[in-house]
Amino acid sequence: MPKITFAAADGETRTIEANIGDSVMETAVRNGISGVVAECGGSLSCATCHVIVDEDDFASLPPMEEMEDEMLWGTAVDRTGTSRLSCQIRVTEDMGLRVTLPETQV
Amino acid sequence: MTANLTAAPRSCPVHHGYEPFDQNDPFPAYAALRSEEPVMFDERIGCWVVTRYDDVKAVFEDWKTFSSENAQAPVRERGPEATRIMLDGGFTAYSGLSARVPPEHTRIRKVAAKAFTPRRYKALEPSIRQHVVTLLERMLARPEAAGDFVRDLAYDVPTVTILTLIGADTGKVDTFKRWSDSRAAMTWGDLSDQEQIPHAHNLVDYWQECLRLVADAHEHERGSLVGDLVRAQAAGDEISDHEIASVVYSLLFAGHETTTTLIANALRVLLSHRDQWQRVVDRPSLIPAAIDEVLRHSGSIVAWRRRALADTRIGGVDIPKGADILLVMGSANRDAAKFDDPEVFDIDRPNAREHLSFGFGIHYCLGNMLAKLQARIAIEEIARLIPDVRLREDARIAFGQNLSFRSPVSVPVEWEARA
Repeated sequence: MPKITFAAADGETRTIEANIGDSVMETAVRNGISGVVAECGGSLSCATCHVIVDEDDFASLPPMEEMEDEMLWGTAVDRTGTSRLSCQIRVTEDMGLRVTLPETQV
Repeated sequence: MTANLTAAPRSCPVHHGYEPFDQNDPFPAYAALRSEEPVMFDERIGCWVVTRYDDVKAVFEDWKTFSSENAQAPVRERGPEATRIMLDGGFTAYSGLSARVPPEHTRIRKVAAKAFTPRRYKALEPSIRQHVVTLLERMLARPEAAGDFVRDLAYDVPTVTILTLIGADTGKVDTFKRWSDSRAAMTWGDLSDQEQIPHAHNLVDYWQECLRLVADAHEHERGSLVGDLVRAQAAGDEISDHEIASVVYSLLFAGHETTTTLIANALRVLLSHRDQWQRVVDRPSLIPAAIDEVLRHSGSIVAWRRRALADTRIGGVDIPKGADILLVMGSANRDAAKFDDPEVFDIDRPNAREHLSFGFGIHYCLGNMLAKLQARIAIEEIARLIPDVRLREDARIAFGQNLSFRSPVSVPVEWEARA
Protein backbone atom coordinates (compact mmCIF):
# COMPACT_ATOMS: atom_id res chain seq x y z
CA MET A 1 0.00 0.00 0.00
CA PRO A 2 1.29 3.47 -0.84
CA LYS A 3 2.51 5.49 2.13
CA ILE A 4 2.86 9.22 2.53
CA THR A 5 4.76 10.81 5.38
CA PHE A 6 3.81 14.34 6.33
CA ALA A 7 6.30 16.28 8.47
CA ALA A 8 4.83 19.36 10.08
CA ALA A 9 6.91 22.50 10.30
CA ASP A 10 7.42 21.82 14.02
CA GLY A 11 8.89 18.41 13.23
CA GLU A 12 5.94 16.15 14.13
CA THR A 13 5.53 13.44 11.50
CA ARG A 14 2.65 11.18 10.50
CA THR A 15 2.71 8.36 8.00
CA ILE A 16 -0.56 7.59 6.25
CA GLU A 17 -1.58 4.68 4.04
CA ALA A 18 -3.00 6.28 0.91
CA ASN A 19 -5.41 5.15 -1.79
CA ILE A 20 -4.11 4.80 -5.33
CA GLY A 21 -5.62 7.50 -7.53
CA ASP A 22 -6.33 9.98 -4.77
CA SER A 23 -4.26 13.13 -4.69
CA VAL A 24 -1.77 13.73 -1.91
CA MET A 25 -3.93 16.73 -0.92
CA GLU A 26 -7.04 14.53 -0.59
CA THR A 27 -5.05 12.04 1.45
CA ALA A 28 -3.99 14.83 3.82
CA VAL A 29 -7.42 16.43 4.17
CA ARG A 30 -9.23 13.12 4.76
CA ASN A 31 -6.75 12.24 7.47
CA GLY A 32 -6.85 15.56 9.25
CA ILE A 33 -3.38 16.82 8.36
CA SER A 34 -4.02 20.42 9.36
CA GLY A 35 -0.98 21.82 7.56
CA VAL A 36 -2.70 21.21 4.22
CA VAL A 37 -5.58 23.66 3.84
CA ALA A 38 -6.76 23.17 0.25
CA GLU A 39 -9.27 26.01 0.31
CA CYS A 40 -10.27 25.58 -3.32
CA GLY A 41 -10.69 21.81 -3.24
CA GLY A 42 -8.09 21.02 -5.88
CA SER A 43 -8.87 23.45 -8.71
CA LEU A 44 -5.41 25.06 -8.81
CA SER A 45 -6.71 28.38 -7.56
CA CYS A 46 -5.53 28.93 -3.99
CA ALA A 47 -2.00 27.50 -3.47
CA THR A 48 -2.89 26.42 0.09
CA CYS A 49 -1.88 22.75 -0.31
CA HIS A 50 1.80 23.58 -0.73
CA VAL A 51 4.23 20.82 0.28
CA ILE A 52 8.00 20.56 0.12
CA VAL A 53 8.91 17.16 -1.25
CA ASP A 54 11.87 15.28 0.17
CA GLU A 55 14.78 15.81 -2.20
CA ASP A 56 15.32 12.08 -2.70
CA ASP A 57 11.68 11.61 -3.73
CA PHE A 58 11.27 14.68 -5.91
CA ALA A 59 12.69 13.22 -9.12
CA SER A 60 10.41 10.17 -8.88
CA LEU A 61 7.31 12.35 -9.36
CA PRO A 62 5.95 13.20 -12.80
CA PRO A 63 7.03 16.74 -13.66
CA MET A 64 4.62 19.53 -12.84
CA GLU A 65 2.55 21.27 -15.47
CA GLU A 66 2.81 24.96 -16.29
CA MET A 67 -0.17 26.09 -14.20
CA GLU A 68 1.03 24.35 -11.03
CA ASP A 69 4.38 26.05 -11.53
CA GLU A 70 2.64 29.43 -11.89
CA MET A 71 0.46 28.92 -8.79
CA LEU A 72 3.53 28.03 -6.72
CA TRP A 73 4.51 31.71 -7.01
CA GLY A 74 1.45 32.49 -4.90
CA THR A 75 2.22 30.34 -1.83
CA ALA A 76 2.23 31.91 1.65
CA VAL A 77 5.73 30.57 2.39
CA ASP A 78 8.07 31.07 -0.58
CA ARG A 79 8.56 28.03 -2.78
CA THR A 80 11.74 25.98 -2.66
CA GLY A 81 13.44 23.87 -5.31
CA THR A 82 11.26 20.86 -4.43
CA SER A 83 7.95 22.59 -3.77
CA ARG A 84 4.75 21.10 -5.21
CA LEU A 85 1.02 21.63 -4.84
CA SER A 86 -0.21 18.40 -3.29
CA CYS A 87 -3.53 18.51 -5.16
CA GLN A 88 -1.57 17.83 -8.35
CA ILE A 89 0.35 14.76 -7.08
CA ARG A 90 -1.48 11.48 -7.69
CA VAL A 91 -0.88 8.57 -5.36
CA THR A 92 0.59 5.64 -7.28
CA GLU A 93 1.23 2.01 -6.50
CA ASP A 94 4.24 1.48 -4.22
CA MET A 95 4.56 5.22 -3.61
CA GLY A 96 6.57 6.06 -0.54
CA LEU A 97 6.51 9.83 -0.49
CA ARG A 98 7.89 12.11 2.20
CA VAL A 99 6.83 15.75 2.31
CA THR A 100 7.35 18.64 4.71
CA LEU A 101 4.60 21.15 5.33
CA PRO A 102 5.34 24.87 5.26
CA GLU A 103 4.94 26.89 8.45
CA THR A 104 1.71 28.41 7.12
CA GLN A 105 -0.51 28.13 4.05
CA VAL A 106 -2.21 31.50 4.30
CA MET B 1 -38.61 29.28 -13.08
CA THR B 2 -41.80 31.21 -12.54
CA ALA B 3 -42.28 34.65 -14.03
CA ASN B 4 -44.96 36.01 -11.76
CA LEU B 5 -43.82 36.03 -8.21
CA THR B 6 -45.80 37.49 -5.40
CA ALA B 7 -44.12 38.90 -2.34
CA ALA B 8 -45.01 36.99 0.78
CA PRO B 9 -45.84 38.83 3.99
CA ARG B 10 -42.69 39.73 5.85
CA SER B 11 -43.00 37.28 8.68
CA CYS B 12 -44.49 34.47 6.63
CA PRO B 13 -43.84 31.39 8.74
CA VAL B 14 -43.68 29.28 5.60
CA HIS B 15 -40.36 30.83 4.68
CA HIS B 16 -38.98 31.21 8.21
CA GLY B 17 -38.57 34.95 7.67
CA TYR B 18 -36.36 34.48 4.60
CA GLU B 19 -36.72 37.27 2.03
CA PRO B 20 -34.63 36.34 -1.01
CA PHE B 21 -33.77 39.87 -2.15
CA ASP B 22 -33.50 41.67 1.20
CA GLN B 23 -29.85 41.82 2.26
CA ASN B 24 -30.07 44.21 5.22
CA ASP B 25 -30.04 41.51 7.90
CA PRO B 26 -30.69 38.05 6.49
CA PHE B 27 -28.93 36.25 9.35
CA PRO B 28 -31.86 35.59 11.73
CA ALA B 29 -33.75 34.00 8.83
CA TYR B 30 -30.69 31.95 7.87
CA ALA B 31 -30.49 30.64 11.46
CA ALA B 32 -34.18 29.75 11.42
CA LEU B 33 -33.81 27.94 8.10
CA ARG B 34 -30.79 25.97 9.28
CA SER B 35 -32.62 24.73 12.35
CA GLU B 36 -36.17 24.38 10.99
CA GLU B 37 -35.96 23.63 7.28
CA PRO B 38 -32.37 23.44 5.99
CA VAL B 39 -33.51 22.45 2.51
CA MET B 40 -36.61 24.51 1.66
CA PHE B 41 -38.38 25.03 -1.63
CA ASP B 42 -39.06 28.74 -2.17
CA GLU B 43 -41.67 29.21 -4.87
CA ARG B 44 -41.00 32.97 -5.02
CA ILE B 45 -37.68 32.33 -6.73
CA GLY B 46 -38.29 28.77 -7.93
CA CYS B 47 -35.31 27.41 -5.99
CA TRP B 48 -34.55 24.89 -3.28
CA VAL B 49 -32.81 26.99 -0.62
CA VAL B 50 -29.93 25.11 1.07
CA THR B 51 -28.52 26.65 4.25
CA ARG B 52 -26.33 24.16 6.16
CA TYR B 53 -22.54 24.10 5.72
CA ASP B 54 -22.12 20.41 4.92
CA ASP B 55 -24.97 20.44 2.39
CA VAL B 56 -23.73 23.58 0.61
CA LYS B 57 -20.19 22.24 0.39
CA ALA B 58 -21.31 18.81 -0.81
CA VAL B 59 -23.36 20.34 -3.64
CA PHE B 60 -20.46 22.56 -4.73
CA GLU B 61 -18.15 19.55 -4.72
CA ASP B 62 -20.45 17.25 -6.74
CA TRP B 63 -20.38 19.11 -10.06
CA LYS B 64 -21.43 16.00 -11.95
CA THR B 65 -24.84 15.95 -10.26
CA PHE B 66 -25.20 19.68 -9.66
CA SER B 67 -24.52 21.76 -12.74
CA SER B 68 -23.63 25.44 -12.69
CA GLU B 69 -25.49 26.03 -15.98
CA ASN B 70 -28.11 28.23 -14.27
CA ALA B 71 -25.60 30.39 -12.36
CA GLN B 72 -26.03 33.37 -14.70
CA ALA B 73 -29.70 32.90 -15.63
CA PRO B 74 -31.91 35.91 -14.89
CA VAL B 75 -33.87 35.29 -11.69
CA ARG B 76 -36.67 37.38 -13.17
CA GLU B 77 -37.57 36.41 -16.70
CA ARG B 78 -36.39 38.97 -19.25
CA GLY B 79 -39.26 41.19 -20.45
CA PRO B 80 -40.16 41.57 -24.15
CA GLU B 81 -38.69 45.07 -24.56
CA ALA B 82 -35.40 44.22 -22.84
CA THR B 83 -35.21 41.06 -24.94
CA ARG B 84 -35.71 43.07 -28.15
CA ILE B 85 -33.06 45.65 -27.17
CA MET B 86 -30.51 42.94 -26.43
CA LEU B 87 -31.26 40.98 -29.59
CA ASP B 88 -31.01 44.11 -31.77
CA GLY B 89 -27.78 45.10 -29.98
CA GLY B 90 -26.09 41.80 -30.78
CA PHE B 91 -25.93 40.74 -27.15
CA THR B 92 -24.85 37.08 -27.20
CA ALA B 93 -22.94 36.86 -23.91
CA TYR B 94 -23.96 34.42 -21.23
CA SER B 95 -21.06 33.36 -19.08
CA GLY B 96 -17.27 33.42 -19.13
CA LEU B 97 -16.75 30.54 -16.74
CA SER B 98 -19.13 30.37 -13.79
CA ALA B 99 -22.12 29.02 -15.73
CA ARG B 100 -20.13 26.85 -18.10
CA VAL B 101 -19.79 23.12 -17.42
CA PRO B 102 -17.09 20.53 -18.15
CA PRO B 103 -15.54 19.74 -20.52
CA GLU B 104 -16.00 23.24 -21.99
CA HIS B 105 -15.45 24.88 -18.58
CA THR B 106 -12.27 22.88 -17.98
CA ARG B 107 -10.86 23.88 -21.37
CA ILE B 108 -11.61 27.62 -21.03
CA ARG B 109 -10.65 27.87 -17.38
CA LYS B 110 -7.27 26.36 -18.16
CA VAL B 111 -6.56 29.08 -20.72
CA ALA B 112 -7.98 31.89 -18.56
CA ALA B 113 -6.08 30.74 -15.47
CA LYS B 114 -2.80 30.99 -17.36
CA ALA B 115 -3.44 34.67 -17.96
CA PHE B 116 -4.46 35.26 -14.35
CA THR B 117 -1.59 34.11 -12.19
CA PRO B 118 -0.05 35.20 -8.88
CA ARG B 119 3.05 36.55 -10.60
CA ARG B 120 0.98 38.79 -12.83
CA TYR B 121 -0.91 40.46 -10.03
CA LYS B 122 1.89 40.46 -7.49
CA ALA B 123 3.71 42.69 -9.96
CA LEU B 124 0.78 45.08 -9.59
CA GLU B 125 1.09 45.35 -5.81
CA PRO B 126 3.14 48.59 -5.75
CA SER B 127 0.74 50.36 -8.11
CA ILE B 128 -2.30 49.15 -6.16
CA ARG B 129 -0.71 50.46 -2.97
CA GLN B 130 0.10 53.79 -4.58
CA HIS B 131 -3.47 54.07 -5.84
CA VAL B 132 -4.85 53.37 -2.34
CA VAL B 133 -2.56 55.99 -0.79
CA THR B 134 -3.52 58.60 -3.40
CA LEU B 135 -7.23 58.04 -2.78
CA LEU B 136 -6.80 58.15 1.00
CA GLU B 137 -4.77 61.37 0.83
CA ARG B 138 -7.43 62.94 -1.35
CA MET B 139 -10.08 61.91 1.17
CA LEU B 140 -8.05 63.21 4.13
CA ALA B 141 -7.56 66.56 2.43
CA ARG B 142 -11.26 67.32 2.75
CA PRO B 143 -11.93 69.95 5.43
CA GLU B 144 -15.01 68.17 6.80
CA ALA B 145 -12.93 65.22 8.15
CA ALA B 146 -15.58 62.77 6.97
CA GLY B 147 -15.98 60.47 4.02
CA ASP B 148 -17.45 57.26 2.65
CA PHE B 149 -15.13 54.29 2.18
CA VAL B 150 -17.30 52.91 -0.62
CA ARG B 151 -17.33 56.08 -2.71
CA ASP B 152 -13.85 57.30 -1.76
CA LEU B 153 -11.88 54.05 -1.90
CA ALA B 154 -13.56 50.67 -2.49
CA TYR B 155 -15.30 51.77 -5.68
CA ASP B 156 -12.11 52.68 -7.53
CA VAL B 157 -9.35 50.39 -6.28
CA PRO B 158 -10.31 46.98 -7.64
CA THR B 159 -11.92 48.50 -10.71
CA VAL B 160 -8.73 50.23 -11.82
CA THR B 161 -6.77 47.06 -11.03
CA ILE B 162 -8.90 44.78 -13.22
CA LEU B 163 -9.12 47.35 -16.02
CA THR B 164 -5.31 47.55 -15.95
CA LEU B 165 -4.96 43.75 -16.06
CA ILE B 166 -7.44 43.45 -18.90
CA GLY B 167 -6.01 46.39 -20.80
CA ALA B 168 -9.27 48.38 -20.75
CA ASP B 169 -9.57 52.15 -20.31
CA THR B 170 -8.88 53.04 -16.66
CA GLY B 171 -10.39 56.47 -17.26
CA LYS B 172 -13.84 54.91 -17.58
CA VAL B 173 -14.38 53.53 -14.09
CA ASP B 174 -17.87 55.04 -13.87
CA THR B 175 -18.90 53.46 -17.16
CA PHE B 176 -17.68 49.99 -16.20
CA LYS B 177 -19.31 50.31 -12.77
CA ARG B 178 -22.60 51.30 -14.39
CA TRP B 179 -22.45 48.27 -16.67
CA SER B 180 -21.65 46.00 -13.71
CA ASP B 181 -24.54 47.37 -11.70
CA SER B 182 -26.79 46.63 -14.66
CA ARG B 183 -25.52 43.08 -14.89
CA ALA B 184 -26.09 42.48 -11.17
CA ALA B 185 -29.59 43.91 -11.43
CA MET B 186 -30.56 42.09 -14.64
CA THR B 187 -29.35 38.68 -13.48
CA TRP B 188 -29.94 38.62 -9.72
CA GLY B 189 -32.30 41.55 -9.15
CA ASP B 190 -36.05 41.77 -8.72
CA LEU B 191 -36.87 44.01 -11.70
CA SER B 192 -40.12 44.71 -13.52
CA ASP B 193 -40.14 44.63 -17.33
CA GLN B 194 -40.03 48.44 -17.38
CA GLU B 195 -37.13 48.64 -14.93
CA GLN B 196 -35.09 46.27 -17.11
CA ILE B 197 -34.97 48.60 -20.12
CA PRO B 198 -32.08 50.95 -19.21
CA HIS B 199 -30.08 47.97 -17.96
CA ALA B 200 -30.63 46.15 -21.27
CA HIS B 201 -29.07 49.09 -23.12
CA ASN B 202 -26.11 49.03 -20.72
CA LEU B 203 -25.54 45.31 -21.24
CA VAL B 204 -25.46 45.81 -25.01
CA ASP B 205 -22.76 48.48 -24.63
CA TYR B 206 -20.88 46.34 -22.11
CA TRP B 207 -20.78 43.31 -24.44
CA GLN B 208 -19.80 45.42 -27.46
CA GLU B 209 -16.83 46.72 -25.47
CA CYS B 210 -15.75 43.13 -24.70
CA LEU B 211 -15.90 42.26 -28.41
CA ARG B 212 -13.98 45.44 -29.26
CA LEU B 213 -11.20 44.59 -26.77
CA VAL B 214 -10.71 41.18 -28.40
CA ALA B 215 -10.68 42.65 -31.92
CA ASP B 216 -8.19 45.29 -30.78
CA ALA B 217 -5.86 42.64 -29.33
CA HIS B 218 -5.89 40.86 -32.69
CA GLU B 219 -4.92 44.06 -34.51
CA HIS B 220 -2.31 45.31 -32.02
CA GLU B 221 0.18 43.52 -29.78
CA ARG B 222 -1.18 44.14 -26.25
CA GLY B 223 0.68 43.37 -23.03
CA SER B 224 -2.58 42.64 -21.27
CA LEU B 225 -4.69 39.70 -20.21
CA VAL B 226 -6.73 40.00 -23.42
CA GLY B 227 -3.46 40.09 -25.35
CA ASP B 228 -2.35 36.92 -23.51
CA LEU B 229 -5.58 35.11 -24.37
CA VAL B 230 -5.35 36.10 -28.03
CA ARG B 231 -1.71 34.94 -28.14
CA ALA B 232 -2.65 31.68 -26.41
CA GLN B 233 -5.27 31.16 -29.13
CA ALA B 234 -2.70 31.88 -31.86
CA ALA B 235 -0.31 29.42 -30.21
CA GLY B 236 -2.89 26.68 -30.46
CA ASP B 237 -4.93 26.86 -27.26
CA GLU B 238 -8.48 25.96 -28.07
CA ILE B 239 -10.50 29.10 -27.30
CA SER B 240 -12.67 31.11 -29.69
CA ASP B 241 -12.94 34.88 -29.93
CA HIS B 242 -16.46 34.68 -28.53
CA GLU B 243 -15.14 32.69 -25.58
CA ILE B 244 -12.34 35.20 -24.97
CA ALA B 245 -14.87 38.04 -25.07
CA SER B 246 -17.02 36.06 -22.64
CA VAL B 247 -14.10 35.67 -20.23
CA VAL B 248 -13.55 39.43 -20.48
CA TYR B 249 -17.27 39.95 -19.87
CA SER B 250 -16.87 37.82 -16.72
CA LEU B 251 -13.74 39.51 -15.42
CA LEU B 252 -15.08 43.01 -16.04
CA PHE B 253 -17.76 42.12 -13.53
CA ALA B 254 -16.40 39.50 -11.14
CA GLY B 255 -13.00 41.22 -11.17
CA HIS B 256 -14.13 44.24 -9.15
CA GLU B 257 -17.78 44.10 -8.07
CA THR B 258 -17.23 41.67 -5.21
CA THR B 259 -13.83 43.14 -4.26
CA THR B 260 -15.39 46.57 -3.85
CA THR B 261 -17.82 44.85 -1.50
CA LEU B 262 -15.07 42.95 0.32
CA ILE B 263 -13.12 46.13 1.03
CA ALA B 264 -16.29 47.91 2.14
CA ASN B 265 -17.37 45.03 4.38
CA ALA B 266 -13.90 44.63 5.87
CA LEU B 267 -13.88 48.27 6.96
CA ARG B 268 -17.51 48.25 8.06
CA VAL B 269 -17.09 45.17 10.25
CA LEU B 270 -13.63 45.91 11.63
CA LEU B 271 -14.55 49.48 12.55
CA SER B 272 -17.68 48.29 14.31
CA HIS B 273 -15.51 45.98 16.46
CA ARG B 274 -13.21 48.67 17.78
CA ASP B 275 -11.03 46.40 19.92
CA GLN B 276 -10.27 44.17 16.94
CA TRP B 277 -9.59 47.20 14.72
CA GLN B 278 -7.06 48.40 17.30
CA ARG B 279 -5.33 45.02 17.29
CA VAL B 280 -5.05 45.18 13.51
CA VAL B 281 -3.60 48.70 13.73
CA ASP B 282 -1.07 47.53 16.31
CA ARG B 283 -0.20 44.33 14.46
CA PRO B 284 -0.75 44.50 10.69
CA SER B 285 0.33 40.85 10.38
CA LEU B 286 -3.17 40.00 11.70
CA ILE B 287 -4.77 41.48 8.58
CA PRO B 288 -4.87 38.34 6.36
CA ALA B 289 -6.66 36.35 9.08
CA ALA B 290 -9.02 39.27 9.65
CA ILE B 291 -9.90 39.28 5.95
CA ASP B 292 -10.73 35.58 6.02
CA GLU B 293 -13.02 36.23 8.98
CA VAL B 294 -14.71 39.09 7.09
CA LEU B 295 -15.27 36.71 4.18
CA ARG B 296 -16.84 34.20 6.56
CA HIS B 297 -18.93 36.67 8.54
CA SER B 298 -19.91 39.03 5.72
CA GLY B 299 -19.10 37.52 2.35
CA SER B 300 -19.72 39.51 -0.81
CA ILE B 301 -21.80 36.73 -2.39
CA VAL B 302 -24.24 35.14 0.04
CA ALA B 303 -26.06 32.79 -2.33
CA TRP B 304 -25.29 31.02 -5.63
CA ARG B 305 -27.23 28.70 -7.89
CA ARG B 306 -26.87 25.16 -9.16
CA ARG B 307 -29.22 22.80 -11.05
CA ALA B 308 -29.81 19.11 -10.32
CA LEU B 309 -29.08 16.99 -13.41
CA ALA B 310 -30.71 13.89 -11.90
CA ASP B 311 -33.15 12.94 -9.17
CA THR B 312 -31.05 13.27 -6.06
CA ARG B 313 -31.05 14.15 -2.35
CA ILE B 314 -29.63 17.05 -0.39
CA GLY B 315 -29.52 16.74 3.40
CA GLY B 316 -32.02 13.88 3.24
CA VAL B 317 -34.53 15.83 1.13
CA ASP B 318 -35.56 14.51 -2.29
CA ILE B 319 -34.63 16.89 -5.10
CA PRO B 320 -36.11 16.24 -8.54
CA LYS B 321 -34.09 16.28 -11.75
CA GLY B 322 -34.03 19.77 -13.26
CA ALA B 323 -34.60 21.55 -9.95
CA ASP B 324 -32.86 24.87 -9.34
CA ILE B 325 -30.95 25.09 -6.07
CA LEU B 326 -29.83 28.17 -4.16
CA LEU B 327 -26.74 27.50 -2.04
CA VAL B 328 -26.73 30.07 0.76
CA MET B 329 -23.05 30.42 1.61
CA GLY B 330 -23.88 33.37 3.88
CA SER B 331 -25.75 30.88 6.04
CA ALA B 332 -23.30 27.99 5.69
CA ASN B 333 -20.60 30.31 6.98
CA ARG B 334 -22.60 30.79 10.19
CA ASP B 335 -23.47 27.15 10.79
CA ALA B 336 -22.70 26.24 14.42
CA ALA B 337 -21.98 22.69 13.30
CA LYS B 338 -18.86 24.10 11.60
CA PHE B 339 -17.99 27.36 13.40
CA ASP B 340 -18.13 27.97 17.18
CA ASP B 341 -20.25 31.01 18.16
CA PRO B 342 -20.88 31.54 14.47
CA GLU B 343 -22.60 34.93 14.72
CA VAL B 344 -19.56 36.43 16.48
CA PHE B 345 -16.92 38.27 14.45
CA ASP B 346 -13.54 37.08 15.71
CA ILE B 347 -10.30 37.63 13.82
CA ASP B 348 -8.65 34.89 15.92
CA ARG B 349 -11.09 32.23 14.71
CA PRO B 350 -8.83 29.29 13.80
CA ASN B 351 -10.96 27.89 10.97
CA ALA B 352 -12.33 31.10 9.42
CA ARG B 353 -10.66 30.25 6.12
CA GLU B 354 -12.95 27.25 5.70
CA HIS B 355 -15.71 29.68 4.70
CA LEU B 356 -17.47 29.00 1.41
CA SER B 357 -17.61 32.58 0.16
CA PHE B 358 -15.41 31.75 -2.85
CA GLY B 359 -17.33 28.55 -3.53
CA PHE B 360 -15.58 25.18 -3.53
CA GLY B 361 -14.27 22.84 -6.22
CA ILE B 362 -13.97 23.34 -9.96
CA HIS B 363 -15.60 26.80 -10.04
CA TYR B 364 -13.69 28.17 -7.03
CA CYS B 365 -13.19 31.91 -7.46
CA LEU B 366 -10.33 32.39 -9.93
CA GLY B 367 -9.52 35.81 -8.47
CA ASN B 368 -9.55 34.91 -4.78
CA MET B 369 -5.91 35.79 -4.23
CA LEU B 370 -6.19 39.10 -6.07
CA ALA B 371 -9.29 40.01 -4.04
CA LYS B 372 -7.55 39.27 -0.74
CA LEU B 373 -4.39 41.07 -1.84
CA GLN B 374 -6.32 44.26 -2.55
CA ALA B 375 -8.30 44.09 0.70
CA ARG B 376 -5.05 43.60 2.60
CA ILE B 377 -3.38 46.61 0.99
CA ALA B 378 -6.43 48.81 1.65
CA ILE B 379 -6.57 47.87 5.33
CA GLU B 380 -2.80 48.16 5.80
CA GLU B 381 -2.78 51.69 4.42
CA ILE B 382 -5.83 52.84 6.38
CA ALA B 383 -4.37 51.37 9.59
CA ARG B 384 -1.16 53.27 8.87
CA LEU B 385 -2.60 56.60 7.69
CA ILE B 386 -5.91 56.93 9.60
CA PRO B 387 -5.80 54.62 12.64
CA ASP B 388 -8.29 56.90 14.39
CA VAL B 389 -10.93 56.53 11.67
CA ARG B 390 -14.35 55.49 13.00
CA LEU B 391 -17.80 54.77 11.66
CA ARG B 392 -20.02 57.83 11.87
CA GLU B 393 -22.34 57.53 14.83
CA ASP B 394 -25.35 58.32 12.69
CA ALA B 395 -24.31 55.73 10.11
CA ARG B 396 -27.14 53.41 9.18
CA ILE B 397 -25.61 51.22 6.54
CA ALA B 398 -28.05 49.79 4.00
CA PHE B 399 -27.48 46.93 1.57
CA GLY B 400 -28.71 46.81 -2.01
CA GLN B 401 -31.61 44.53 -2.97
CA ASN B 402 -30.27 41.40 -4.66
CA LEU B 403 -30.56 37.62 -4.53
CA SER B 404 -26.82 36.93 -4.41
CA PHE B 405 -24.77 40.06 -3.82
CA ARG B 406 -24.78 41.59 -0.34
CA SER B 407 -23.17 44.99 -0.79
CA PRO B 408 -23.21 47.94 1.59
CA VAL B 409 -24.33 51.06 -0.23
CA SER B 410 -21.99 53.24 1.85
CA VAL B 411 -19.57 53.08 4.78
CA PRO B 412 -19.68 56.61 6.26
CA VAL B 413 -16.64 57.43 8.40
CA GLU B 414 -15.06 60.36 10.18
CA TRP B 415 -11.68 61.12 11.75
CA GLU B 416 -9.93 63.78 13.78
CA ALA B 417 -9.24 66.75 11.53
CA ARG B 418 -5.54 66.93 10.62
CA ALA B 419 -3.72 70.10 11.60
